[in-house]
Amino acid sequence: MFGQSMVKTIQVQLIEKATGVITGHIQVQDRGVKDYKFPEKYVLDPAAVERAILKTPNVEAFEKRIQVTGMISSEKESSGVFICGVEPEKDLRITTMHSYLSAGRYVSDGAREIFIGDDLAEQLHAGLGSEVVLLATASDGSLGAEKLRVTGLFHSGSESFDAYIVYVPLSVLQGMLVVEGQANNVVLRLKDPLRLEETRAALVEALGKEPVKAVTWEEIDHELVAVRDYQNKVLGIVLLVVFLIVAMGILNTLLMSMFERIREFGLLKAIGARPARIVRLILLESCILGALGSLLGLSAGIALIVYYRRAGLALPIGEAVRYFMPFPAVLYMRFNWTTHLEALAAVFVSCVLAALPPAFRAARLKAADALRHI
Amino acid sequence: MQPLIEIQKVTKIYEAAAKVRAVCDFSADIFPGEFAAIAGPSGSGKSTLLNLIGTLDTPTRGEILFEGRRVSQLTENQLADFRLRSLGFVFQAFNLIPVLTAFENVEYVLILQGVPKAERSAKTLEALKWVGLDKLADRRPDLLSGGQQQRVAVARSIVHRPLLVLADEPTANLDSKTSAELMDLMADLNEKHGITFLFSSHDPLVLSRAKRVIYIRDGMLQANES
Repeated sequence: MFGQSMVKTIQVQLIEKATGVITGHIQVQDRGVKDYKFPEKYVLDPAAVERAILKTPNVEAFEKRIQVTGMISSEKESSGVFICGVEPEKDLRITTMHSYLSAGRYVSDGAREIFIGDDLAEQLHAGLGSEVVLLATASDGSLGAEKLRVTGLFHSGSESFDAYIVYVPLSVLQGMLVVEGQANNVVLRLKDPLRLEETRAALVEALGKEPVKAVTWEEIDHELVAVRDYQNKVLGIVLLVVFLIVAMGILNTLLMSMFERIREFGLLKAIGARPARIVRLILLESCILGALGSLLGLSAGIALIVYYRRAGLALPIGEAVRYFMPFPAVLYMRFNWTTHLEALAAVFVSCVLAALPPAFRAARLKAADALRHI
Repeated sequence: MQPLIEIQKVTKIYEAAAKVRAVCDFSADIFPGEFAAIAGPSGSGKSTLLNLIGTLDTPTRGEILFEGRRVSQLTENQLADFRLRSLGFVFQAFNLIPVLTAFENVEYVLILQGVPKAERSAKTLEALKWVGLDKLADRRPDLLSGGQQQRVAVARSIVHRPLLVLADEPTANLDSKTSAELMDLMADLNEKHGITFLFSSHDPLVLSRAKRVIYIRDGMLQANES
């Protein structure tokens, strides 16, 4: 249970971070886009997309965005960056990047401002209030450039984010890239992320014949999904091994108990217990054993999870993941009752299955032989 | 009078490393209300014969009839039901279930029969009263003496009013005084309640109390004395 909780907590935190810092839950992109992370085409009619989103249930917030690669230069240094053009007011409700603010403030709508990571600032020898030049290829093929003032610094703990991602107001980036009023994706945050597919279906219906597609975070961050699936498979194998050990333990306990109680089973047969009754008796004993074990395991699991939900559990995985995205070094454990109950059911089934061999063996005993057993 | 049990040319051969003929061509009848004993030295085949009569084992040859019915024709479940309704067992080693109280040990037979709780409790208490242990009903076997444990076993064997109680060396683990008390108790149950008892024993005390003694040696009938 603790292991399940740990893996599921890592997954939930990974997904929350991935969707919370940049991806959102669903993005609407041009139908021809091939790389969902770097949409190379612009949405033809963003206003029509916005109207469709307004008709879609379960949408918490949405914003138009432009995401492109480019370059940033200060007086002394320059560096390649991933530029995120956001609608600042709306973005506060969609991503959590503003929560990593370490100095200054987030960008304001229409202002020639930029929000950069502290690693990038250090690399550029720039600080709050410094002027930097942002460069990217404009839609007409020219080199778009804009002089911006560093209005805020963030420290997410992720090398990729802190050194390579910059946030600028969408309108400023539109002007720089000569794509006024356009965006290459519209990002949605959902009220209930678990209703992802249902919401996507409703959105697709509302979009009608617009030449766009709605892609979920699972399609955008497919590496994350692969990691999650891999973890689930590993967890499944570990649980299978655990259940086999549990089953072998119970089988061994019941076989030992059966050998110790051969005379008792012989007596039961002698006084008129049918074989099926003896099978039922041993299965019931195994179920009680399983139920008591589950109760103990459940209590210990709940206690551990409750403790680590408050105190947090420091794990080295934070260091590994933080290169790719901001990830807390401390896990705050969560319950995942669906998987916990599945595991409990599996323990119970293991108990019953493990009890079958000794139960049938006891039922087949000959009373006379069993009563002679020493 | 129709015999309760007819043992017809019964042979039992155990096939282990070597063939062992435990009972050989044995015939005898047991009548309702008898207080009889099968006597013989160790290894003579008494316990095997008692197991065959109690349907705990099956004869290699021959037939055993219970009230004229061939028990060899019964299925395993029918045999279990037959033992549950018609037979009671008392064993040399008492064979009480250690985790159950005296009351629960006796009551268990009635639970197997599906008797309702109120009736079960009344019958269990009555059986314990008959053997003089109603005051110790809530004790577990480890808190009872050997004689008391064997009395609980006797109560368990009669609680469902069987037609026949089979007692395999019932006094073998008891001292002389306790053995005499136990035999008095069973004789009393036989006389007062008409329960048929068949013992296997080589204890002179048991044999002296039995109204009929069937002698067996090397698995064969030696004598049948009343």
